[in-house]
Amino acid sequence: MTSPPPHDTGDELLAVRCQLGEAAAFDDLIERWHGPLWTYIRRVVGDEDAALEVVQDVWIKVLRGIPKLRDGSKLRAWLFGIARRTVMDRLRERYAGPLETEIDLSEVAADTWPSHDEHELQQLEGALARLPAVERDVLTLFYLEDLTLADIGEALKVPVGTVKSRLFRARRMLREAMNAGGAQP
Amino acid sequence: MTHHTPPPALAGELRRLTVLELSRGARAGYVCLLLAASAMTAVVGGLLLTEPSLPPRTSIALAVMVAIGLSWVCFAAWVLTRRRILLGKDRVVAGRMAVAFNSLFVAGCVLAAAITGAASAFAAMALGLVMLGVAGGLWIRARRQFEHLTARRQQLERELARG
Repeated sequence: MTSPPPHDTGDELLAVRCQLGEAAAFDDLIERWHGPLWTYIRRVVGDEDAALEVVQDVWIKVLRGIPKLRDGSKLRAWLFGIARRTVMDRLRERYAGPLETEIDLSEVAADTWPSHDEHELQQLEGALARLPAVERDVLTLFYLEDLTLADIGEALKVPVGTVKSRLFRARRMLREAMNAGGAQP
Repeated sequence: MTHHTPPPALAGELRRLTVLELSRGARAGYVCLLLAASAMTAVVGGLLLTEPSLPPRTSIALAVMVAIGLSWVCFAAWVLTRRRILLGKDRVVAGRMAVAFNSLFVAGCVLAAAITGAASAFAAMALGLVMLGVAGGLWIRARRQFEHLTARRQQLERELARG
């Protein structure tokens, strides 16, 4: 399943059609976005039954909130922002404690997903599943859903610098988890 | 990394959810509730404001009715903004309904005032005119927003057609 590219004109058109009240536009919205949102929610929540509940909550919020979406070109970030907040509400008890650290931000932006080997990918999946939800969340949005740093900032309601710091920390934790499991990230 | 494939029934379930959420009948019902509650509140409020010689019990009863009417107005407005949202076309239709309904209400108050000369009829008419002004403003805003969205849609479609 491939996510649509960021800042797609088609996304803005879809948002505008929904805001106008065109019934078919909501079918198209579901058709286009339920897969990527499901992948994200399923990965961060971890459990399929819980993910099914969360995904329905997310869509209700999307349907009720879409008239208030001011900039349709930000549909992607807006959708993932709703998904993320809904997931966080569900997992709130696992999100205690300070998150940000001072780091070298220049190391983060050029990073790409480190491996394409099938065996290592499976190890990565396992390591990712063991990460705390905040770190799993930001890695999923950046590497798997292809959101830009700015879009993630929009979705998480945090500055881009914070996104970078979370990504940096998440990568480090993933590397540690991989090392502990005997693989190199 | 592998993607999690959505359960096959999920898209259908979400479409069903969408139909329930955007049910036209339910939303139209709340628009009617809003209009009816506003009219009732205006009439009873007009009576309460213009009849100082009413027995205390009657005044209290009317005040309670005004409070109930206002509660229904607030409830319907809350539902329409948070639960049964109105989209572009719906807002234009709701605005048109509000203008038509309030025009009828004001016409009725004018007739009542002309026939009876009662101060309460004039007060209700004044409140009705205020509501008519608000309804007209909402209708104009809804139409502008609808036109803006329509123009934006056409522009985006042209951009997509050009590739």
